[in-house]
Amino acid sequence: MDEFFNPKSIAIIGASPTPDKVGFNFVDAPLTSGFKGDIYPVHPRASDILGLKVYPSIEDIGKPIDLAVIALNQYASVDAVEACGRLGVKGVVAVAGGFKEMGEEGEKLQARLVEAGRRYGVKILGPNTLGMINTHADLCSVFYPLKLRKGGASILSQSGGAGLSLMHTAADEGLGLSKWIGVGNRGGLEFADLLQYLSYDDRTKVIGAFMESTEDARSFVEIAGQAVLEKPIVVYKVGESELAKYSALTHTGTLAGPHKLALDAFGQFGILSVHSCHELVSVCKALATSSLPRGKRVGILTHTAGPSIIIVDELVRRGCHIPPLQDATVRKVEEIIGKNPPVVLKNPMDVAGLGFAAEPYGQLAEAMLSDPSFDILIAVYCLHKNWRFPSAELVAARAKYGKPIVACYVSDIEGVKGDREILSAGGIPTYTLPEATAQAAAGLVNYAMIRQKWGSR
Amino acid sequence: MNVNEIIAAARDGLLLEPEAKSLLSALGITTTACYPAAEADDAVRIAEQIGYPVVLKAKSPLLLHKSDNGGVELDLRSPGAVTQAFGRIKAASSAIDASAGVTVQKMAAKGIEVIVGVTTDAHFGKVMMFGLGGVLTELYNDVSFRLLPIGEPDAREMMASLKAYRFLAGFRGGPPADIAALVDIMLKVSRAIVEYPAIAELELNPIIVYPRGATVVDARGRLDVRPFN
Repeated sequence: MDEFFNPKSIAIIGASPTPDKVGFNFVDAPLTSGFKGDIYPVHPRASDILGLKVYPSIEDIGKPIDLAVIALNQYASVDAVEACGRLGVKGVVAVAGGFKEMGEEGEKLQARLVEAGRRYGVKILGPNTLGMINTHADLCSVFYPLKLRKGGASILSQSGGAGLSLMHTAADEGLGLSKWIGVGNRGGLEFADLLQYLSYDDRTKVIGAFMESTEDARSFVEIAGQAVLEKPIVVYKVGESELAKYSALTHTGTLAGPHKLALDAFGQFGILSVHSCHELVSVCKALATSSLPRGKRVGILTHTAGPSIIIVDELVRRGCHIPPLQDATVRKVEEIIGKNPPVVLKNPMDVAGLGFAAEPYGQLAEAMLSDPSFDILIAVYCLHKNWRFPSAELVAARAKYGKPIVACYVSDIEGVKGDREILSAGGIPTYTLPEATAQAAAGLVNYAMIRQKWGSR
Repeated sequence: MNVNEIIAAARDGLLLEPEAKSLLSALGITTTACYPAAEADDAVRIAEQIGYPVVLKAKSPLLLHKSDNGGVELDLRSPGAVTQAFGRIKAASSAIDASAGVTVQKMAAKGIEVIVGVTTDAHFGKVMMFGLGGVLTELYNDVSFRLLPIGEPDAREMMASLKAYRFLAGFRGGPPADIAALVDIMLKVSRAIVEYPAIAELELNPIIVYPRGATVVDARGRLDVRPFN
């Protein structure tokens, strides 16, 4: 499987000199991502695509091919898999739709495609897939040419569009990706196969999946159950409404079962369920960045009440506890901000104007981290023209007490970009929205709980 | 009969109430046993033996939703009531299935009704469902699922995760239900599903749970009758 994601050479069958065509963009994609291996575009008449030599057929390449992207229509794709098999190509990305998702005829055609691959031992991703990306091989093999930030989160997506949404949201959130894999109709490589691969992949620290529905759900959760002690698995499963279920059938060929059954089964095997693309990215970012809390008790430090109230709602909904401050902590806080402060000292601790300056804010964060009632701290601070974010203070506090911190910097993305890198390097994930912050903290807590439960079995 | 014999004897792959209850009894699960009655006199004789009040039910593969079709007569307390109920069930069921039978069983005391169901999901395989009985469960979709087999923590979580759990745990001064008895039933069913893969569906609906103990009051099942090859 490693060769599939780390090919030394790629052929693009159905490459095109026209930028409107998918086949052009599959040539542009590895160039955009800085792929160092060989790229062989195949087109019967063109001689040059983006400065690369074009071969009239795959047989004319005359060199070993690790991976072939087949950007042809569904009928020609079946023959192309045959041709790849005869030449000893190890893996194929089958892009075309028009297979199982189209009903009985398409299902037969897909069976022929899969059988051709099986006969020659060719691994097939798809059909009906956007492709795949491996940032650590500088390889973009989807028809949206992209160069993504490298990192430790890998994404499995049953949808190209939702998968792109995850990619772009990850970019906005400053989350680096490792692999991005569009599973498509799962004719060859199944969800479970790919999950298995990612669970052993050293470059993958956390696995996120967007799932509509899959026949190998049992294998998927069982493999997940084995893998979750090593790395977290976060799934966004759609198909709650009846119409959504029908749409999933006509999209990638599998009718979804009862939604509650899927969510309960995920929980049983230690998979974290999330309920939006943004939550998936937020939780993956937290798990890729932060250490884990020892328990589910969250302390919240803020200088503005509203975001902390949103955070409390979101945390409680996800099973976190919000215990009160211990008396010793209240005394420490009074030492920092003075006796009888004009604020109520509780958790969430809203110190209002007394928390505007970075230095006392950092001291308050330390006071809360020193409280044995808290396993994890959420720190809320708002972007300001004349006041700086308390990033250095939070990084120092986290290092001193060894408890995780999740930062909520109320800001636009631009305003937080620099500080986000400082915090991230210090093991603190940063979010601009209170909901995302709470979802991320709850993700850390709930994964920690899964680890504890699994570890004790 | 042991479980294998019950499975082997099931015609058309169906376990109607008497067979399903025999199977559950063989697993060590408490049920209200039901006895076939060919005539009204037989029904009265059985009722005299097991003691009033009793329940009469139609038995037919075409009458899986017995109570919707006049196939269930509850809380019968005299020979006269049993005789009349027998006639009503025969009349109602013969319109649907001329060879429908009638069974007699003891009327269980009131308690909290819960449902334990096993089904074979196309994607997840054998799964167990738990919910409280009644229409609100369906209305609020307040059920939980686990893939089989399950362990004791799973069984407890299945119950505790429901919105209606407070009702089981002792609501508004009511005594708490015997959670351990339900756990025991769920684990016995789980083990049986693993041991006897031919069981494709099994529904214990309802189980009546008391402050001490729990009894299966109705049950049915379906076997996977695909030929071996």
